[in-house]
Amino acid sequence: MSQVPAAGRVASELDDIDALVRTYRARLLRFVAFSIGDADLAESITQDCFLKAYNGRASFRGDCSVNTWLTSIAMNLIRDQQRLQKFRFWRQARATAIDITDAASFLPSNESSPETSILAKEKAKQVQAALEHLSPNQRTVFLMRFIEEMDLSEIAATTRMPINTVKTHLHRALKSVRAQVGGVR
Amino acid sequence: MRISARHLNEDELESVLIGDAAPEHTAHLAACEPCKAALAELEAPLAGFRAVTLAWSERRSATMPLRDLQAAQSRAAVAGRKRFALSAGLAAALAIGVAVPVLHYEATHTDAAQSLPSAQAAATTETASAASEESPQQQQIARDNQMLRAIDQELSSSVESPAALGLQESTGRNRGYRSKMQD
Repeated sequence: MSQVPAAGRVASELDDIDALVRTYRARLLRFVAFSIGDADLAESITQDCFLKAYNGRASFRGDCSVNTWLTSIAMNLIRDQQRLQKFRFWRQARATAIDITDAASFLPSNESSPETSILAKEKAKQVQAALEHLSPNQRTVFLMRFIEEMDLSEIAATTRMPINTVKTHLHRALKSVRAQVGGVR
Repeated sequence: MRISARHLNEDELESVLIGDAAPEHTAHLAACEPCKAALAELEAPLAGFRAVTLAWSERRSATMPLRDLQAAQSRAAVAGRKRFALSAGLAAALAIGVAVPVLHYEATHTDAAQSLPSAQAAATTETASAASEESPQQQQIARDNQMLRAIDQELSSSVESPAALGLQESTGRNRGYRSKMQD
């Protein structure tokens, strides 16, 4: 059986925008939404991100995963947005704030008791609230690590930060979130 | 590999969480149930957040219209084609704008250049045919005379005014000098 080269596979993956959206939109929307705290704006940025990725697919070199590439595009769009709305960022964001309570009802609960599930949802809301107290850089690396599950080198490459700076941001962000989320050690 | 003998403290557990664990801590964690439990407890809210936010984004993403994106993609493609057509049109107009004057200039000068040698050639042919029956010395004299006549004709048709030649009118002192020279 003939082997399709990785770069070719990725190129064809990027050519099919429908498949690209179906595969990555939920994850990308999550990253953007919890980076900016505004669900409506996140949808708009996510759409822009796919368009930008599709139009610039020729520039994708294949040296990282498609998800990481999309995340880096989204991060740049988020930064542009943050520059535009620097001072009214979270204040305005609360107008269309994300409510994850309903979504939590759809979580599979076959492995845990209803009490445990309720507790997990409550903790998730506390983590979400704690994100608002992080600096933009801390929030970005926190989401990349604990939501996107990217490793340190990927985060460093995507954010163009030295790896030690990424570690510092992550340690501070984690301490801050832990301080906000009660009942964790 | 060295295995840490004591339990991991919170900073070390955080390092494990962020993916920066020291090898001895990783080795200890693999063999230590209390540390595993401590790490799981630390990780639980983050894992819960990850799962809840994914459920949220999947629901939200499902309600996002794909058609908007496809329409935007089509618009981008149409805009790209329009840009290409506009660029091509501009390039063509520019090429025509440059080519027409250049071709016109070349055609004009080519005609002039072609007519000049043909006149010269005709004159030369006439002279040559007239001199074909003369000796080489006489032919040379005839050519010299022809050249001198051409020079005379050129000089007689040229403007004689110094001002017209771009020269200053002679001053009185110059006139005196000239009259002295003529004298």
